[in-house]
Amino acid sequence: MTNEKTKETKQAKPPKEMVKLLVDGREVEVEKGSYILHAAEKLGIRIPTLCYYKHVQPYAACRICTVEVKRGHKVRYVTACNYPAENGIEVVTTSDRIKAIRKLIVEFLLARCSKVKVLRELADELGIKESPYGYGEEGCILCGLCVRVCNEVVGAKAIAFAGRGIDREVTTPFKVDSERCIGCGSCAKVCPTGYIKVASTEEDKIVHRDVTLGPNTAIYVPTMQAVPNKPVIDTTSCIYFRNGKCKICAKICPTEAIDHEMQDKEKEIDVGSIIVATGYQLFDPKKTMQYGYGRFDNVVTSLEFEKLNCAAGSTGGKVLLANGEEPKSIGIIHCIGSRDKNYHEYCSRVCCMYALKFSHLVKEKTGAEVYDFYIDMRSFGKGYEEFYNRLLEEGVRFIRGKAAQVSNEPIYPEEEGKLVIRCEDTLMGRVRRIPVDMVVLCSAIEPRDDSPELARLLSMCHTKDGFFAEKHPKLAPVSTATDGVFIAGCCQGPKDIPDTVAQASGAASQAMSLAAKGFIEIESATALIDDKRCTGCRICNDLCPYHAIEFIASDKISKVNDALCKGCGTCVAACPCSAIAARQFKDDQVMAEIEGVLA
Amino acid sequence: MIRTWEDLQEIRKRGAKKIHPDKIKIAVGTATCGLATGAGDVLKAVREAVEQCRLDAIVAETGCIGYCQKEPILDVCIPGFPRIFYSEMTPAKAKQLVEALAKGEHKPEWALGKILSETNLIDESVFNYTMEKAPIEIAKIHNLNDISFYKKQFKIVLRNCGMIDPEDIEQYIAMGGYHALFKILTKKRPQTDLIEAVKKSGLRGRGGGGFPAGKKWETVYKAPGDVKYVICNADEGDPGAYMDRSVLEGDPHSVMEGMIIGAYTIGSNHGYIYVRHEYPQAVRKFTKAIEQARELGILGKNIFGSGFDFDIKINRGGGAFVCGESTALMASIEGDVGEPRPKYIHTAEAGLWNKPTNLNNVETWANIAPIMARGADWFASIGTEGSKGTKVFSLVGKVKNTGLLEVPMGITLREVLYELGEGIPEGRRFKAVQTGGPSGGCLIVDTFGWKHREYLGDTAPPAVSYVTESLIDLPVDFDTLTEAGSMMGSGGMIIMDDTSCMVDIGRYFLNFLKEESCGKCTPCREGIRNMLSILDGISEGRGKPEDLDRLVEIAQVLQDASLCALGGSAPNPILSTIRYFRSEYEEHIFHKRCPAGVCKALIRFSIDPEKCTGCTVCVKACPENCIEGKKQKPHRIDEPKCIKCGSCQEVCKFNAVVIQ
Repeated sequence: MTNEKTKETKQAKPPKEMVKLLVDGREVEVEKGSYILHAAEKLGIRIPTLCYYKHVQPYAACRICTVEVKRGHKVRYVTACNYPAENGIEVVTTSDRIKAIRKLIVEFLLARCSKVKVLRELADELGIKESPYGYGEEGCILCGLCVRVCNEVVGAKAIAFAGRGIDREVTTPFKVDSERCIGCGSCAKVCPTGYIKVASTEEDKIVHRDVTLGPNTAIYVPTMQAVPNKPVIDTTSCIYFRNGKCKICAKICPTEAIDHEMQDKEKEIDVGSIIVATGYQLFDPKKTMQYGYGRFDNVVTSLEFEKLNCAAGSTGGKVLLANGEEPKSIGIIHCIGSRDKNYHEYCSRVCCMYALKFSHLVKEKTGAEVYDFYIDMRSFGKGYEEFYNRLLEEGVRFIRGKAAQVSNEPIYPEEEGKLVIRCEDTLMGRVRRIPVDMVVLCSAIEPRDDSPELARLLSMCHTKDGFFAEKHPKLAPVSTATDGVFIAGCCQGPKDIPDTVAQASGAASQAMSLAAKGFIEIESATALIDDKRCTGCRICNDLCPYHAIEFIASDKISKVNDALCKGCGTCVAACPCSAIAARQFKDDQVMAEIEGVLA
Repeated sequence: MIRTWEDLQEIRKRGAKKIHPDKIKIAVGTATCGLATGAGDVLKAVREAVEQCRLDAIVAETGCIGYCQKEPILDVCIPGFPRIFYSEMTPAKAKQLVEALAKGEHKPEWALGKILSETNLIDESVFNYTMEKAPIEIAKIHNLNDISFYKKQFKIVLRNCGMIDPEDIEQYIAMGGYHALFKILTKKRPQTDLIEAVKKSGLRGRGGGGFPAGKKWETVYKAPGDVKYVICNADEGDPGAYMDRSVLEGDPHSVMEGMIIGAYTIGSNHGYIYVRHEYPQAVRKFTKAIEQARELGILGKNIFGSGFDFDIKINRGGGAFVCGESTALMASIEGDVGEPRPKYIHTAEAGLWNKPTNLNNVETWANIAPIMARGADWFASIGTEGSKGTKVFSLVGKVKNTGLLEVPMGITLREVLYELGEGIPEGRRFKAVQTGGPSGGCLIVDTFGWKHREYLGDTAPPAVSYVTESLIDLPVDFDTLTEAGSMMGSGGMIIMDDTSCMVDIGRYFLNFLKEESCGKCTPCREGIRNMLSILDGISEGRGKPEDLDRLVEIAQVLQDASLCALGGSAPNPILSTIRYFRSEYEEHIFHKRCPAGVCKALIRFSIDPEKCTGCTVCVKACPENCIEGKKQKPHRIDEPKCIKCGSCQEVCKFNAVVIQ
């Protein structure tokens, strides 16, 4: 949706008409159609404003930007934010009269909103200590920025002015929660006084599933270190895609790189080899109903907990409960969906170590009590066992035994308002109930739902557990049954980051070696179709497991791609008119071999 | 459908028959001012009586002839008699009158005046009534134009008001209506000619500002664009002003004719009239006028077969005073909140929906047809150097004759007050004239105003001596009024006597504006609020010596920095009262006294024991039961309990209740 702005679309704009005027005695040239404020800005002359914002139409309501305009002998007091810059006018931005006007306006506004910071600053600038007109506690200065942004930029039209004269106020229609409000927060963003606060009309709580990495905006860089490191627009949240308005990002982008009209594109790329690194998906812990995921707000998966932990995440790295409080105790349950005959029999390999990392971080950040429920502690690898020993010293409570249930039904007073984990402590030899504030489920790593489809597409095999199968576990761990297709990472089987990087490096070098060589070696025994006998029935096309046979429409015959053919002989056997022969294994050759053996 | 001059004359003849029929015609003035005094019942009574007496008469309705104080007014035309207007009718009197007419008798004692001949303003044709059958007592009735209220009037805008049935287009045509339009359209008079005529006539916008109409028309005409609009501003909101209402109720076609001519001139096909919702009669009558005009082909496609298309839509305002401001009015028509926008680019270039727009006030539009018919020179010969033509004023307040009057520009306040208004009732003294509504100011008309202290027997010299001359001989036109610190406004003229407190008047207008300012710009919204709170302080005895300077300071900022004319002119009532009645303010601030006896915190009621006869009327009237006294013995007011409502003073026949 973003960035790709080709050179053709950047057309040269016609030169704008310019006007010349004098601001405080200095000549300045600005584009026709701009306002005095812009001309002053160009000269570096600051004119105070309250109701002006670059991306909405000037409103001229606060009148604080009043300046003096001289045209010939005629002097007028006008607002700089919307008086058009015209040829030959003389603008005076500070004079005794203007100061008096600004002073009185600020005094008026102070009398209404005595505590507003922007007004206080303006008052200091103008040398006002206290307003002689009173001391109001109002927060809104009625500049109308919120209303205009909501109407002009967002297009939601959820707020407007109501009442006339001194009864004027900003409100929603009929002063009830407006359905038109899309909760974009633009009004709060532009409010110069900070009077508008965005609040959820529903109960205010953190939904862990919605916690994202990075800031919550409609335009964002997908992940940290994303490649390419460029923002994308979320069309479901972006105001433009909801109301057809806003486009502020496009207005402020200095390189004009944002194009809201861009469509998704499909590209076909010819490549010599493919590395499949499609990763994994997390086991859905809702299937293990006994742990209450989805029922209890504070039961989260390991990935959700990781997002909470991330310093760039939306909680700023704070571990928080749904109600926004810090947990006092956390239970981490290992092997959810792994090492389990009902779901996946394999071990997900990484859970023990990240559970230990969580335990450490929680201890460090919150000082909460941490319970780790494990079957076996699998801390193999360099430095891992040492880390486990360190945690034992840090006071993390390790309970050997798989947790049986997470419930919210207290029996004992200390369990009131907590989640209770029931488990068998096999070391103590008894069943325990442990109350905690938050439960982290270490869900299994499992193959992605769409991996069978991908396997079919690339003619790869997969193992019983659904992960892609390598060509040979020891001799060809990154190759697949299809030449030129390599695998790396968790799509091949659960593994941690170091292992993944190692495997990926292997796959990459395999692919590189193919490219560096410049040619490929093919099987000597491939199938051969006799053009004269082929009737073009295309039975072989669909049968070939390597998609090596294609139909040549112009000649109405099928042809074998030697580079793909593995010489399996399926087509040879299936051809109804015996048009296909296997090289090196033609009938007469086989017969000759037999004769040779028998001779 | 009118296509030819003959068609028009045919209708004119029919209309004339309706105005001056061969039998008795009794018309009741049923404009809002009439209805308010019971014209509805009178009309009903007349209808019933006519039926009862089997009188062969036409009963009709008409507009207001201006003398609102004398409403309900009956206009009786009898063949062979002069036209007689009977005033202050009641259903009983109306019945008697009809019965008398049925017997061939008359009631000259109830008559307001008679008309012997009518001169048509448009083509100067004269209609003479005959006196052949009239008895001597009829001849003795005053001529309407000789009575003081009408003597100095010159009717252009109100030419047909009260003379014809406003709901009958034929009668308007009979008065020369749509003749000017017909000539312009069928002869295809060049637009520049028409603009030149308006410019030469010196017509200035009657809505308040007095902007030269011709100049505005020219700007709109020259502005590029195919789509242009004409708008009639009938959002009359000044307290005490009702000129536009009367014109729309009494003669809607005169406004419409002006609008069509204006539209043809600037090249517009769409017109709007913005009427406030509080004028239901005006809306109803104008709607009917539009329907009738469409039927005759005066509105719609191909008007008079000339190929020119124009139609008018009625837009009803919600009653916001600020919507009388042109840009706020346009915003309101567009469906937005009626808030003004800065006019750095004139509405004549970018108005309604950003198209060139010619907005004029009701009275301005009503002046157009006579200018076109009689020529610019004729119009320019009326009035003063800078302000041509006439102006309709609504004369209200403490004056004997109240009502609508149309006088040539340049008439002096003395003439209006003492001749048309016939002075002040009960021997009180004139103090001030307020013109221009909340945007205008109070003009001193009697030096008495600032001599209150002397009047009260206070011989000590005033804190600040401030002497000003009476403006009673001020000629009324746009420029003199502005110079004097007020403005013409739409034509409200409120007369105040010595019972009006100028601080209170200032408060009244600011209170009005406090709620009627749109609240968009800071100076207007907050300035009015703060000026009002200072004035409240003064009237409640908390006035401080620096208050006057502060009021003037705020007022000047409002004039310079407000977004629209409402804010810019909002301080006029305060500035003008300070200018002319400064001593009265000082009296409030320094001596904590209200010379006019209005500001409740500064006055106390007491009973003069010498005058009190002990009649106990005041005891019964007092809502707080704070008057004590036995029968036949002087009473006494228990001051701490007194809420200063003034009820006792109102009911006392012996003027024993005095304000100190």
